[in-house]
Amino acid sequence: MVGLLKRYRELILVALLLVLPLGVYFAHAKHPSERSRLDRVIMGLTGPIEKGIGWAVTGVMNGWSGYIALRHAHERAAALKHELDVLRLDQLDLVRTRDENERLRRLLAFAQEVPGRQVVGARVIGVRLDPKGLQLVTIDRGAGHGVGLMMPVVVAQGVVGRVHALTGGTADVLLLSDRNSSIAVRVDRSRARANVRGTGSPDLCRLEYALRSDDMQEGDLLLTSGTDGVFPRGLPVGKLSGLKRSGQGLYQRADVAPIVDLTKLEEVLVLTATSVGGSEQSQATAPAAPAGVAAAGTKP
Amino acid sequence: MRPALAFAAALVLVAVQAALLRYVGGGAFSLSLALPVVVYLSLHAGNVDGALGAAAVGYVADLMAGGPKGLMTFLAVALFLVSRLAVAALSIHGKTGFAILSGVGTFFCGVGALLLTRAVSPAESAPGFALLGRMAIEAFLTGALSPLILLGMRRLDGLFAREEPGLSGLLR
Repeated sequence: MVGLLKRYRELILVALLLVLPLGVYFAHAKHPSERSRLDRVIMGLTGPIEKGIGWAVTGVMNGWSGYIALRHAHERAAALKHELDVLRLDQLDLVRTRDENERLRRLLAFAQEVPGRQVVGARVIGVRLDPKGLQLVTIDRGAGHGVGLMMPVVVAQGVVGRVHALTGGTADVLLLSDRNSSIAVRVDRSRARANVRGTGSPDLCRLEYALRSDDMQEGDLLLTSGTDGVFPRGLPVGKLSGLKRSGQGLYQRADVAPIVDLTKLEEVLVLTATSVGGSEQSQATAPAAPAGVAAAGTKP
Repeated sequence: MRPALAFAAALVLVAVQAALLRYVGGGAFSLSLALPVVVYLSLHAGNVDGALGAAAVGYVADLMAGGPKGLMTFLAVALFLVSRLAVAALSIHGKTGFAILSGVGTFFCGVGALLLTRAVSPAESAPGFALLGRMAIEAFLTGALSPLILLGMRRLDGLFAREEPGLSGLLR
Protein backbone atom coordinates (compact mmCIF):
# COMPACT_ATOMS: atom_id res chain seq x y z
CA MET A 1 0.00 0.00 0.00
CA VAL A 2 2.80 2.37 1.04
CA GLY A 3 4.76 1.37 -2.00
CA LEU A 4 1.78 2.10 -4.15
CA LEU A 5 1.36 5.50 -2.54
CA LYS A 6 5.05 6.25 -3.07
CA ARG A 7 4.86 5.16 -6.64
CA TYR A 8 1.84 7.29 -7.49
CA ARG A 9 2.41 10.15 -5.04
CA GLU A 10 2.72 12.79 -7.77
CA LEU A 11 -0.45 11.62 -9.41
CA ILE A 12 -2.29 11.54 -6.09
CA LEU A 13 -1.10 15.00 -5.19
CA VAL A 14 -2.18 16.44 -8.51
CA ALA A 15 -5.52 14.65 -8.24
CA LEU A 16 -5.96 16.08 -4.74
CA LEU A 17 -5.13 19.55 -6.02
CA LEU A 18 -7.85 19.09 -8.59
CA VAL A 19 -10.52 17.53 -6.41
CA LEU A 20 -10.05 19.58 -3.22
CA PRO A 21 -10.63 23.00 -4.78
CA LEU A 22 -13.65 21.63 -6.59
CA GLY A 23 -15.03 20.35 -3.26
CA VAL A 24 -14.29 23.72 -1.64
CA TYR A 25 -16.01 25.47 -4.52
CA PHE A 26 -19.17 23.39 -4.26
CA ALA A 27 -19.15 23.76 -0.47
CA HIS A 28 -18.88 27.56 -0.75
CA ALA A 29 -21.44 27.77 -3.54
CA LYS A 30 -24.12 25.95 -1.55
CA HIS A 31 -26.70 27.81 0.46
CA PRO A 32 -25.69 27.74 4.18
CA SER A 33 -28.73 25.65 5.08
CA GLU A 34 -27.81 23.02 2.48
CA ARG A 35 -24.19 22.54 3.60
CA SER A 36 -23.23 19.08 4.88
CA ARG A 37 -20.82 18.37 7.74
CA LEU A 38 -18.03 17.74 5.22
CA ASP A 39 -18.71 21.10 3.61
CA ARG A 40 -18.46 22.82 7.00
CA VAL A 41 -15.19 21.01 7.81
CA ILE A 42 -13.73 22.07 4.46
CA MET A 43 -14.77 25.67 5.03
CA GLY A 44 -13.42 25.65 8.59
CA LEU A 45 -10.03 24.42 7.34
CA THR A 46 -9.77 26.81 4.44
CA GLY A 47 -11.09 29.89 6.29
CA PRO A 48 -7.85 30.90 8.09
CA ILE A 49 -5.79 30.31 4.95
CA GLU A 50 -8.17 32.50 2.99
CA LYS A 51 -7.91 35.19 5.63
CA GLY A 52 -4.10 35.17 5.54
CA ILE A 53 -3.91 35.26 1.77
CA GLY A 54 -6.59 37.93 1.66
CA TRP A 55 -4.52 40.03 4.05
CA ALA A 56 -1.46 39.66 1.79
CA VAL A 57 -3.43 40.58 -1.34
CA THR A 58 -5.01 43.57 0.37
CA GLY A 59 -1.55 44.67 1.53
CA VAL A 60 -0.21 44.58 -2.01
CA MET A 61 -3.25 46.45 -3.33
CA ASN A 62 -2.98 49.07 -0.60
CA GLY A 63 0.74 49.39 -1.33
CA TRP A 64 -0.10 50.09 -4.92
CA SER A 65 -2.84 52.60 -4.28
CA GLY A 66 -1.14 54.21 -1.27
CA TYR A 67 2.38 54.63 -2.64
CA ILE A 68 2.97 53.80 -6.28
CA ALA A 69 -0.25 55.35 -7.61
CA LEU A 70 0.52 58.52 -5.59
CA ARG A 71 3.80 59.15 -7.40
CA HIS A 72 2.69 62.49 -8.87
CA ALA A 73 0.49 63.50 -5.94
CA HIS A 74 2.93 66.20 -4.74
CA GLU A 75 3.00 67.91 -8.12
CA ARG A 76 -0.78 67.70 -8.40
CA ALA A 77 -1.20 69.06 -4.87
CA ALA A 78 1.11 71.99 -5.64
CA ALA A 79 -0.76 72.77 -8.86
CA LEU A 80 -4.11 72.57 -7.07
CA LYS A 81 -2.83 74.80 -4.25
CA HIS A 82 -1.73 77.37 -6.80
CA GLU A 83 -5.13 77.15 -8.47
CA LEU A 84 -6.81 77.52 -5.09
CA ASP A 85 -4.78 80.66 -4.33
CA VAL A 86 -5.80 82.18 -7.65
CA LEU A 87 -9.44 81.30 -7.03
CA ARG A 88 -9.28 82.81 -3.53
CA LEU A 89 -7.95 86.05 -4.97
CA ASP A 90 -10.72 85.98 -7.57
CA GLN A 91 -13.25 85.39 -4.82
CA LEU A 92 -11.95 88.36 -2.82
CA ASP A 93 -12.17 90.48 -5.94
CA LEU A 94 -15.74 89.34 -6.52
CA VAL A 95 -16.75 90.09 -2.93
CA ARG A 96 -15.21 93.55 -3.20
CA THR A 97 -17.01 94.17 -6.49
CA ARG A 98 -20.29 92.95 -5.01
CA ASP A 99 -19.97 95.23 -1.98
CA GLU A 100 -19.09 98.18 -4.18
CA ASN A 101 -22.04 97.39 -6.43
CA GLU A 102 -24.33 97.37 -3.40
CA ARG A 103 -23.02 100.73 -2.20
CA LEU A 104 -23.39 102.26 -5.66
CA ARG A 105 -26.92 100.87 -5.94
CA ARG A 106 -27.85 102.58 -2.66
CA LEU A 107 -26.26 105.84 -3.85
CA LEU A 108 -28.20 105.64 -7.10
CA ALA A 109 -31.45 105.02 -5.23
CA PHE A 110 -30.70 108.06 -3.06
CA ALA A 111 -29.94 110.20 -6.09
CA GLN A 112 -33.24 109.23 -7.69
CA GLU A 113 -35.28 109.77 -4.51
CA VAL A 114 -36.09 113.41 -5.21
CA PRO A 115 -37.00 114.41 -8.77
CA GLY A 116 -34.77 117.20 -10.01
CA ARG A 117 -31.97 116.46 -7.54
CA GLN A 118 -28.62 116.82 -9.31
CA VAL A 119 -25.66 114.89 -8.05
CA VAL A 120 -22.07 114.12 -8.95
CA GLY A 121 -20.76 110.76 -7.85
CA ALA A 122 -17.20 110.67 -6.54
CA ARG A 123 -14.69 108.31 -5.03
CA VAL A 124 -12.74 109.10 -1.89
CA ILE A 125 -9.08 109.27 -2.83
CA GLY A 126 -7.62 110.78 0.35
CA VAL A 127 -8.43 110.84 4.05
CA ARG A 128 -7.17 113.16 6.75
CA LEU A 129 -8.81 112.60 10.11
CA ASP A 130 -6.70 114.71 12.44
CA PRO A 131 -8.36 115.09 15.85
CA LYS A 132 -6.45 118.34 16.49
CA GLY A 133 -6.83 119.73 12.98
CA LEU A 134 -9.15 119.47 10.04
CA GLN A 135 -11.17 116.36 9.37
CA LEU A 136 -11.19 116.09 5.59
CA VAL A 137 -11.57 113.58 2.82
CA THR A 138 -10.47 114.28 -0.72
CA ILE A 139 -12.68 113.17 -3.60
CA ASP A 140 -11.79 112.67 -7.25
CA ARG A 141 -14.25 115.25 -8.60
CA GLY A 142 -13.63 118.99 -8.60
CA ALA A 143 -14.61 122.25 -10.22
CA GLY A 144 -14.17 120.74 -13.67
CA HIS A 145 -16.96 118.28 -12.90
CA GLY A 146 -19.47 120.83 -11.62
CA VAL A 147 -18.53 120.64 -7.94
CA GLY A 148 -18.58 123.94 -6.05
CA LEU A 149 -17.65 125.26 -2.62
CA MET A 150 -20.08 124.57 0.24
CA MET A 151 -21.95 121.91 -1.71
CA PRO A 152 -23.34 119.16 0.53
CA VAL A 153 -21.70 115.76 0.36
CA VAL A 154 -23.75 112.74 1.30
CA VAL A 155 -24.02 108.98 1.07
CA ALA A 156 -27.20 106.95 0.97
CA GLN A 157 -27.32 106.71 4.78
CA GLY A 158 -26.98 110.45 5.42
CA VAL A 159 -24.81 113.54 5.64
CA VAL A 160 -21.02 113.34 5.23
CA GLY A 161 -20.02 117.02 5.14
CA ARG A 162 -19.60 119.87 2.70
CA VAL A 163 -17.09 120.90 0.05
CA HIS A 164 -14.37 122.96 1.67
CA ALA A 165 -11.71 123.47 -0.99
CA LEU A 166 -11.56 122.88 -4.73
CA THR A 167 -9.19 122.19 -7.56
CA GLY A 168 -10.07 121.39 -11.15
CA GLY A 169 -10.12 117.65 -10.60
CA THR A 170 -10.47 117.14 -6.84
CA ALA A 171 -12.26 118.57 -3.87
CA ASP A 172 -11.70 118.54 -0.10
CA VAL A 173 -14.77 117.69 1.92
CA LEU A 174 -15.03 119.00 5.47
CA LEU A 175 -16.61 116.19 7.48
CA LEU A 176 -19.45 116.83 9.88
CA SER A 177 -17.16 115.66 12.69
CA ASP A 178 -14.75 118.57 12.12
CA ARG A 179 -14.74 121.25 14.84
CA ASN A 180 -15.55 123.91 12.23
CA SER A 181 -18.61 122.08 10.96
CA SER A 182 -22.05 123.10 12.18
CA ILE A 183 -25.24 121.71 10.65
CA ALA A 184 -28.77 122.88 11.38
CA VAL A 185 -30.92 119.91 12.38
CA ARG A 186 -34.38 119.05 13.55
CA VAL A 187 -35.45 116.16 15.79
CA ASP A 188 -37.41 113.84 13.57
CA ARG A 189 -39.88 112.88 16.31
CA SER A 190 -40.63 116.25 17.92
CA ARG A 191 -39.47 118.68 15.18
CA ALA A 192 -37.33 120.54 17.78
CA ARG A 193 -34.44 122.53 16.27
CA ALA A 194 -30.73 122.51 17.15
CA ASN A 195 -27.24 122.45 15.62
CA VAL A 196 -24.79 119.57 15.32
CA ARG A 197 -21.16 120.57 15.74
CA GLY A 198 -18.12 118.38 15.23
CA THR A 199 -15.72 117.53 18.03
CA GLY A 200 -12.72 116.31 16.07
CA SER A 201 -13.64 112.68 16.66
CA PRO A 202 -15.16 110.87 13.66
CA ASP A 203 -17.65 108.97 15.81
CA LEU A 204 -18.86 111.82 18.07
CA CYS A 205 -20.49 115.24 17.54
CA ARG A 206 -22.13 117.63 19.94
CA LEU A 207 -25.63 119.06 20.01
CA GLU A 208 -25.79 122.86 20.32
CA TYR A 209 -28.51 125.39 20.80
CA ALA A 210 -31.15 122.89 21.78
CA LEU A 211 -33.61 124.71 23.99
CA ARG A 212 -34.02 123.19 27.43
CA SER A 213 -37.76 123.18 27.02
CA ASP A 214 -37.62 121.18 23.75
CA ASP A 215 -38.78 117.57 23.70
CA MET A 216 -35.68 115.43 23.13
CA GLN A 217 -34.91 111.85 24.06
CA GLU A 218 -31.88 109.66 23.74
CA GLY A 219 -31.94 107.79 20.45
CA ASP A 220 -33.87 110.49 18.62
CA LEU A 221 -32.99 110.73 14.94
CA LEU A 222 -31.67 114.13 13.81
CA LEU A 223 -32.39 115.29 10.26
CA THR A 224 -31.10 118.34 8.45
CA SER A 225 -33.56 121.19 8.84
CA GLY A 226 -32.65 122.94 5.58
CA THR A 227 -32.22 126.28 7.39
CA ASP A 228 -28.44 126.62 7.15
CA GLY A 229 -28.37 127.32 3.44
CA VAL A 230 -26.13 124.34 2.74
CA PHE A 231 -27.94 121.06 3.31
CA PRO A 232 -31.36 120.23 1.91
CA ARG A 233 -34.10 119.34 4.36
CA GLY A 234 -34.59 115.81 5.70
CA LEU A 235 -31.14 114.18 5.39
CA PRO A 236 -30.22 111.98 8.38
CA VAL A 237 -27.30 113.37 10.42
CA GLY A 238 -27.06 111.34 13.60
CA LYS A 239 -28.69 110.02 16.74
CA LEU A 240 -28.91 111.62 20.14
CA SER A 241 -27.04 110.15 23.08
CA GLY A 242 -25.83 111.29 26.50
CA LEU A 243 -28.59 113.86 26.92
CA LYS A 244 -27.97 116.25 29.85
CA ARG A 245 -30.69 118.63 30.94
CA SER A 246 -29.51 120.71 33.93
CA GLY A 247 -31.85 122.60 36.24
CA GLN A 248 -30.61 125.96 35.01
CA GLY A 249 -29.47 127.52 31.74
CA LEU A 250 -31.06 128.10 28.39
CA TYR A 251 -29.95 124.95 26.52
CA GLN A 252 -29.76 121.23 27.07
CA ARG A 253 -26.63 119.36 26.04
CA ALA A 254 -26.21 116.05 24.27
CA ASP A 255 -23.82 114.00 22.20
CA VAL A 256 -24.60 112.97 18.64
CA ALA A 257 -23.42 109.75 17.02
CA PRO A 258 -23.08 110.38 13.26
CA ILE A 259 -25.32 108.11 11.23
CA VAL A 260 -22.56 107.64 8.63
CA ASP A 261 -19.35 105.81 9.53
CA LEU A 262 -16.94 108.53 8.45
CA THR A 263 -13.92 106.25 8.69
CA LYS A 264 -15.19 103.90 5.99
CA LEU A 265 -16.19 106.24 3.21
CA GLU A 266 -15.46 105.03 -0.31
CA GLU A 267 -18.01 106.56 -2.68
CA VAL A 268 -19.99 109.75 -2.02
CA LEU A 269 -22.44 112.02 -3.80
CA VAL A 270 -22.05 115.76 -4.14
CA LEU A 271 -25.44 117.46 -4.33
CA THR A 272 -24.93 120.10 -7.02
CA ALA A 273 -28.53 121.31 -7.09
CA THR A 274 -30.64 120.68 -4.03
CA SER A 275 -33.98 121.52 -2.51
CA VAL A 276 -32.81 123.69 0.41
CA GLY A 277 -35.55 124.70 2.80
CA GLY A 278 -38.12 123.17 0.54
CA SER A 279 -37.25 125.00 -2.68
CA GLU A 280 -35.00 123.59 -5.38
CA GLN A 281 -31.98 125.75 -6.10
CA SER A 282 -28.51 125.58 -7.53
CA GLN A 283 -25.52 126.20 -5.30
CA ALA A 284 -24.50 129.84 -5.75
CA THR A 285 -20.78 129.18 -5.63
CA ALA A 286 -20.85 126.30 -8.05
CA PRO A 287 -19.53 126.76 -11.57
CA ALA A 288 -21.87 125.88 -14.40
CA ALA A 289 -22.38 122.12 -14.41
CA PRO A 290 -20.92 120.43 -17.44
CA ALA A 291 -23.19 118.51 -19.79
CA GLY A 292 -22.14 115.20 -18.20
CA VAL A 293 -23.87 115.97 -14.89
CA ALA A 294 -27.29 114.52 -15.27
CA ALA A 295 -30.36 115.27 -13.23
CA ALA A 296 -31.25 112.55 -10.74
CA GLY A 297 -28.22 110.51 -11.67
CA THR A 298 -24.68 109.88 -10.66
CA LYS A 299 -21.59 110.55 -12.60
CA PRO A 300 -18.87 108.28 -11.35
CA MET B 1 10.58 27.40 -4.37
CA ARG B 2 8.61 27.56 -7.61
CA PRO B 3 5.15 27.52 -5.97
CA ALA B 4 6.14 30.43 -3.70
CA LEU B 5 7.58 32.33 -6.66
CA ALA B 6 4.43 31.69 -8.66
CA PHE B 7 2.31 32.86 -5.74
CA ALA B 8 4.33 36.09 -5.35
CA ALA B 9 4.26 36.71 -9.10
CA ALA B 10 0.50 36.13 -9.16
CA LEU B 11 0.00 38.61 -6.30
CA VAL B 12 1.97 41.29 -8.13
CA LEU B 13 0.21 40.54 -11.41
CA VAL B 14 -3.30 40.74 -9.95
CA ALA B 15 -2.36 44.06 -8.32
CA VAL B 16 -1.10 45.36 -11.69
CA GLN B 17 -4.21 43.98 -13.35
CA ALA B 18 -6.50 45.71 -10.85
CA ALA B 19 -4.68 49.02 -11.37
CA LEU B 20 -4.77 48.64 -15.17
CA LEU B 21 -8.47 47.82 -15.23
CA ARG B 22 -9.19 50.75 -12.97
CA TYR B 23 -7.42 53.36 -15.06
CA VAL B 24 -7.68 51.89 -18.60
CA GLY B 25 -10.72 50.83 -20.54
CA GLY B 26 -13.39 51.94 -18.08
CA GLY B 27 -14.59 48.36 -17.52
CA ALA B 28 -14.98 47.60 -21.23
CA PHE B 29 -12.72 44.57 -20.97
CA SER B 30 -11.03 42.37 -18.40
CA LEU B 31 -7.70 40.56 -18.06
CA SER B 32 -6.36 37.42 -16.39
CA LEU B 33 -2.68 38.18 -15.99
CA ALA B 34 -2.16 35.44 -13.41
CA LEU B 35 -3.02 32.61 -15.83
CA PRO B 36 0.12 32.98 -18.03
CA VAL B 37 2.07 32.16 -14.87
CA VAL B 38 0.30 28.77 -14.82
CA VAL B 39 1.22 28.24 -18.48
CA TYR B 40 4.81 29.16 -17.63
CA LEU B 41 4.78 26.57 -14.83
CA SER B 42 3.48 23.93 -17.24
CA LEU B 43 6.45 24.64 -19.51
CA HIS B 44 9.22 24.91 -16.93
CA ALA B 45 8.21 23.28 -13.65
CA GLY B 46 7.93 19.68 -12.52
CA ASN B 47 4.60 17.96 -11.90
CA VAL B 48 4.39 18.54 -8.16
CA ASP B 49 5.98 22.00 -8.12
CA GLY B 50 3.90 23.08 -11.08
CA ALA B 51 0.59 21.77 -9.72
CA LEU B 52 1.21 23.41 -6.33
CA GLY B 53 2.21 26.66 -8.02
CA ALA B 54 -0.85 26.52 -10.25
CA ALA B 55 -3.07 25.98 -7.20
CA ALA B 56 -1.44 28.98 -5.50
CA VAL B 57 -1.99 31.16 -8.56
CA GLY B 58 -5.57 29.95 -8.83
CA TYR B 59 -6.16 30.76 -5.20
CA VAL B 60 -4.99 34.33 -5.74
CA ALA B 61 -7.33 34.55 -8.75
CA ASP B 62 -10.13 33.19 -6.55
CA LEU B 63 -9.53 35.93 -4.02
CA MET B 64 -9.63 38.53 -6.75
CA ALA B 65 -12.78 37.09 -8.29
CA GLY B 66 -14.72 37.52 -5.06
CA GLY B 67 -16.95 34.50 -5.76
CA PRO B 68 -17.04 31.12 -4.02
CA LYS B 69 -13.47 29.95 -3.36
CA GLY B 70 -11.99 26.99 -5.17
CA LEU B 71 -13.27 27.63 -8.69
CA MET B 72 -10.18 29.34 -10.08
CA THR B 73 -7.89 27.05 -8.05
CA PHE B 74 -9.44 24.04 -9.73
CA LEU B 75 -9.32 25.68 -13.15
CA ALA B 76 -5.69 26.75 -12.71
CA VAL B 77 -4.60 23.20 -11.83
CA ALA B 78 -6.66 21.91 -14.75
CA LEU B 79 -5.03 24.48 -17.03
CA PHE B 80 -1.62 23.37 -15.79
CA LEU B 81 -2.38 19.75 -16.67
CA VAL B 82 -3.93 20.53 -20.05
CA SER B 83 -1.06 22.90 -20.94
CA ARG B 84 1.44 20.22 -20.00
CA LEU B 85 -0.31 17.76 -22.26
CA ALA B 86 -0.46 20.33 -25.04
CA VAL B 87 3.24 21.11 -24.67
CA ALA B 88 4.04 17.42 -24.82
CA ALA B 89 1.76 16.78 -27.81
CA LEU B 90 2.51 19.93 -29.80
CA SER B 91 5.76 21.68 -30.36
CA ILE B 92 5.31 24.99 -28.54
CA HIS B 93 8.29 27.31 -28.47
CA GLY B 94 9.08 30.94 -28.02
CA LYS B 95 7.01 33.95 -27.14
CA THR B 96 4.40 33.40 -29.84
CA GLY B 97 3.65 29.85 -28.73
CA PHE B 98 3.49 31.03 -25.13
CA ALA B 99 1.11 33.83 -26.08
CA ILE B 100 -1.18 31.47 -28.01
CA LEU B 101 -1.19 28.92 -25.20
CA SER B 102 -1.90 31.66 -22.64
CA GLY B 103 -4.72 33.12 -24.73
CA VAL B 104 -6.36 29.75 -25.42
CA GLY B 105 -5.89 28.70 -21.78
CA THR B 106 -7.47 31.93 -20.55
CA PHE B 107 -10.43 31.42 -22.87
CA PHE B 108 -11.01 27.84 -21.72
CA CYS B 109 -10.65 28.85 -18.07
CA GLY B 110 -13.32 31.48 -18.70
CA VAL B 111 -15.59 28.92 -20.33
CA GLY B 112 -14.96 26.45 -17.47
CA ALA B 113 -15.78 29.12 -14.90
CA LEU B 114 -18.95 29.97 -16.80
CA LEU B 115 -20.09 26.34 -16.92
CA LEU B 116 -19.29 25.62 -13.27
CA THR B 117 -20.98 28.82 -12.12
CA ARG B 118 -24.06 27.91 -14.14
CA ALA B 119 -24.00 24.47 -12.53
CA VAL B 120 -24.32 25.86 -9.00
CA SER B 121 -26.39 29.02 -9.62
CA PRO B 122 -30.18 29.25 -9.80
CA ALA B 123 -31.39 29.54 -13.39
CA GLU B 124 -32.54 33.13 -12.97
CA SER B 125 -29.16 34.40 -11.74
CA ALA B 126 -26.85 32.13 -13.77
CA PRO B 127 -24.42 33.88 -16.13
CA GLY B 128 -25.35 33.64 -19.81
CA PHE B 129 -23.36 32.59 -22.86
CA ALA B 130 -23.38 36.20 -24.02
CA LEU B 131 -20.21 36.50 -21.92
CA LEU B 132 -18.30 34.39 -24.44
CA GLY B 133 -17.47 37.44 -26.57
CA ARG B 134 -16.06 39.24 -23.57
CA MET B 135 -14.07 36.13 -22.67
CA ALA B 136 -12.59 36.04 -26.16
CA ILE B 137 -11.44 39.65 -25.79
CA GLU B 138 -10.03 38.87 -22.36
CA ALA B 139 -8.19 35.86 -23.79
CA PHE B 140 -6.80 37.89 -26.69
CA LEU B 141 -5.55 40.70 -24.45
CA THR B 142 -4.09 38.30 -21.89
CA GLY B 143 -2.33 36.40 -24.68
CA ALA B 144 -1.01 39.69 -26.10
CA LEU B 145 0.44 40.71 -22.75
CA SER B 146 1.73 37.25 -21.80
CA PRO B 147 5.17 37.58 -23.48
CA LEU B 148 5.94 40.34 -20.96
CA ILE B 149 4.98 37.95 -18.17
CA LEU B 150 7.16 35.26 -19.75
CA LEU B 151 10.14 37.64 -19.67
CA GLY B 152 9.42 38.56 -16.07
CA MET B 153 9.07 34.95 -14.97
CA ARG B 154 12.31 33.98 -16.74
CA ARG B 155 14.12 36.78 -14.95
CA LEU B 156 12.58 35.77 -11.62
CA ASP B 157 13.54 32.13 -12.19
CA GLY B 158 17.05 33.22 -13.07
CA LEU B 159 17.35 35.05 -9.76
CA PHE B 160 16.35 32.09 -7.63
CA ALA B 161 17.51 29.04 -9.61
CA ARG B 162 21.25 29.61 -10.10
CA GLU B 163 23.46 26.60 -10.45
CA GLU B 164 26.40 26.43 -8.11
CA PRO B 165 29.61 26.76 -10.15
CA GLY B 166 31.53 23.53 -10.10
CA LEU B 167 28.65 21.54 -8.66
CA SER B 168 28.16 19.66 -11.93
CA GLY B 169 31.80 18.69 -11.85
CA LEU B 170 31.43 17.20 -8.39
CA LEU B 171 28.45 15.16 -9.48
CA ARG B 172 30.24 13.61 -12.41
